[in-house]
Amino acid sequence: MGNIHAVAKILLQVGILSIFYVIGTKIQQFFHLIIPGSIIGMLLLFMVLLTTKFKTKWVDEGAKLLIKHLPLLFIPVTVGIINYLSIFNGKGILLIPIAFISTLIVIVGSGGISQYLARKRVNDHE
Amino acid sequence: MNSLFLGLLGVIGTLIAYMGALYIYQKYPYPILLPVFVATVAIAITLILFHIPYDAYMQGGKWIDWLLGPAVVALAYPLYNQWEMVKKYPFPLLAGVGIGSLLGITTGLLLAKWLHFDHQVIYSLIPKNSTTPVAMEITESLGGIAPMATVFVMIAGIGGAITGPAILKRLGITHFLAIGIGVGSASHAIGTSKVMEYGVLAGAVSTVAMSLSAVVISILSPILTNILM
Repeated sequence: MGNIHAVAKILLQVGILSIFYVIGTKIQQFFHLIIPGSIIGMLLLFMVLLTTKFKTKWVDEGAKLLIKHLPLLFIPVTVGIINYLSIFNGKGILLIPIAFISTLIVIVGSGGISQYLARKRVNDHE
Repeated sequence: MNSLFLGLLGVIGTLIAYMGALYIYQKYPYPILLPVFVATVAIAITLILFHIPYDAYMQGGKWIDWLLGPAVVALAYPLYNQWEMVKKYPFPLLAGVGIGSLLGITTGLLLAKWLHFDHQVIYSLIPKNSTTPVAMEITESLGGIAPMATVFVMIAGIGGAITGPAILKRLGITHFLAIGIGVGSASHAIGTSKVMEYGVLAGAVSTVAMSLSAVVISILSPILTNILM
């Protein structure tokens, strides 16, 4: 019986997160926003957690489960690459180093500025 | 075959492939054996071998796909849990994530444009440093190809997770905030799981950087695309 209870709790919490998602999507459509509905839902949940009596324990188990198994959720779309494999033929193969080099620039740029500001903060306090 | 049966088959097949891939990764935890990569290849090969059209597979796949929305919403939970830390280091976090997002979008876009790639391809490359579900939504709203975007997201994730920490170390960037923000905002969830090896604190920073950069990249992508394309 304990298992059924735990499963029901997780399903209910995923349901609550889904409601935030649907509301986020509706807001995006209504105001024709450029931000994805899921992100609006996330910001909405964050604001609700921060400013109201809404408790994390009403969504924690569902949130942990979804985040832990995020890779499962994007497998179906990723499989869709089989319809686009030809893009990586010929010149297309260059897209792989482009994505990689651009990512390294992000790591070094954002890591560098973060370290500079983090150290500066410590020095200013001394 | 009716669509309900087909759908169930797609869901069960995906679950089996995912659990099998998880099992393999637990035994051999090499970055190249990342569960999403192995499971995707296994399903793709199955579809090609048995001449199953992708649309037929997506009868069930779309049910799993829908859950990505609530999963992105769920990122508010770790962000809220780490809010005290965010308040402690607001400037390094915001500046690091902001500059990282800016660099990721512009360098990817300009390099691909310089090599004369199609607009559809460039739009799929733009959000590669955000987490997959967000990258898919951004790509679709820009007019790109979502499955292609996921491939670039994986290159950013795996590539950054393998090389990022070593490169930062070589450059003398060793502060836990810098490692967490750098790798988290470039290589999202895959990078974050790597950063966890550098300590709980760096891992938490990386999770926050990933959530924040999802928001920043989704705002900056359409704006920068308008300016630079």
